[in-house]
Amino acid sequence: MFRGGNLKSKKSQYNNIKGTKQNKYMVKNQIPYAFGIFSLASILGIFLYTKSFDLCFYWIIGLCFGFILQRSRFCFTASFRDPYLTGSTALTRALLLAFALTSVGFTIIKYVYYINGDIVPGMEYVAPISFATALGAFLFGIGMVISGGCASGTLMRIGEGFQLQMITLVFFILGSVWGAYDFKWWEDNFISKGFRVFLPDIFGWIGGLVVNLLIICTIYLIAKKWEEKKL
Amino acid sequence: MKILDRINESKKYNRLFKTSYPYFVGAILLSVFQIINFAITGSPWGVSGILANWGAWILEFFGASVENWHYFQVKHFNIDNSQSFLTSPISIRNVGIIVGALISALAASEFKYRKVKNKKQVLGAIIGGLLMGYGARIGFGCNIGALYSGIASLSLSGWVYGIFMFLGAVVGTKILIKFFM
Repeated sequence: MFRGGNLKSKKSQYNNIKGTKQNKYMVKNQIPYAFGIFSLASILGIFLYTKSFDLCFYWIIGLCFGFILQRSRFCFTASFRDPYLTGSTALTRALLLAFALTSVGFTIIKYVYYINGDIVPGMEYVAPISFATALGAFLFGIGMVISGGCASGTLMRIGEGFQLQMITLVFFILGSVWGAYDFKWWEDNFISKGFRVFLPDIFGWIGGLVVNLLIICTIYLIAKKWEEKKL
Repeated sequence: MKILDRINESKKYNRLFKTSYPYFVGAILLSVFQIINFAITGSPWGVSGILANWGAWILEFFGASVENWHYFQVKHFNIDNSQSFLTSPISIRNVGIIVGALISALAASEFKYRKVKNKKQVLGAIIGGLLMGYGARIGFGCNIGALYSGIASLSLSGWVYGIFMFLGAVVGTKILIKFFM
């Protein structure tokens, strides 16, 4: 029932330590297929490049994200579920590391725009906070656990061959359209009364980043303590 | 095919394409590509925003009109509904995630078409998918756009999203244990 969690990865690490290259799912050598799909993906990349740089770049970056997610068994669902379910916080702490590194990178890029007097990019991701944020996140949290995958995880598992996640994706799209249909009501009643908080607006550029990193460190330490207590 | 076996047995190949990377390596790699993505496109990574457009394009294909929906009049996360599936970069990136995972699974000889095991799983996928889709719309994104990119953008909304997503995950786990296992 629990896919993408710790168990599978621990098992495969264990197998590798023992030097047995047998994998639970290994049917036969699939390298020729990997090479075939990779070649097709490259040809598509060249084709997209003739259309626009953007399409080609997004294609390549998507392939990279998919590869990394699959190869490292990175699972947002497990990182939020496992502390409660099994007590393991290994993935949670890895996720916090990603938050920390990415926020440093993002802030440097934004700061460069800022000191050059240019419009700071990516500010639409500083979303308004309202009851709709809380409820939306809460519903999302329930949904990802009972379907066995978040947004990125669902896409990744389709690539791994899971029929179930293809169903999830169809209903994810349906739910999105439903949400879009109701969006005006949420905006009129809650989102329009919400407020956007960009940490550097309050604490300055360095202060904002430091506050973000302090929150991450605090949760990291709590997660570590939690795991020691639980496991 | 001897060469294939030799590739398969080689240590380097095993380390790169067969062994699971440790989680922290995954975290570092994701961060690197998030930053490259932001530096080049000026927009952080998001996954689910475009799914509303996918739905809209499907509806339009069947003759429905979504143009007067308020949601599609306001541009959220830079997505323009006048694009189509194959001309919107974010759609292409999502397909890329699927194909990238496919290549990774094949390279490790791990790919397998895994059929649904029982009806309960299907019910979980249906309800879970709907909840995620609806939640992502009113919450301004999913675990990537609202949570990961939100927090990395130094937005307080990312943290609020994270707290309630965690509470949702706890409730979801209780529901999962009670009804779906």
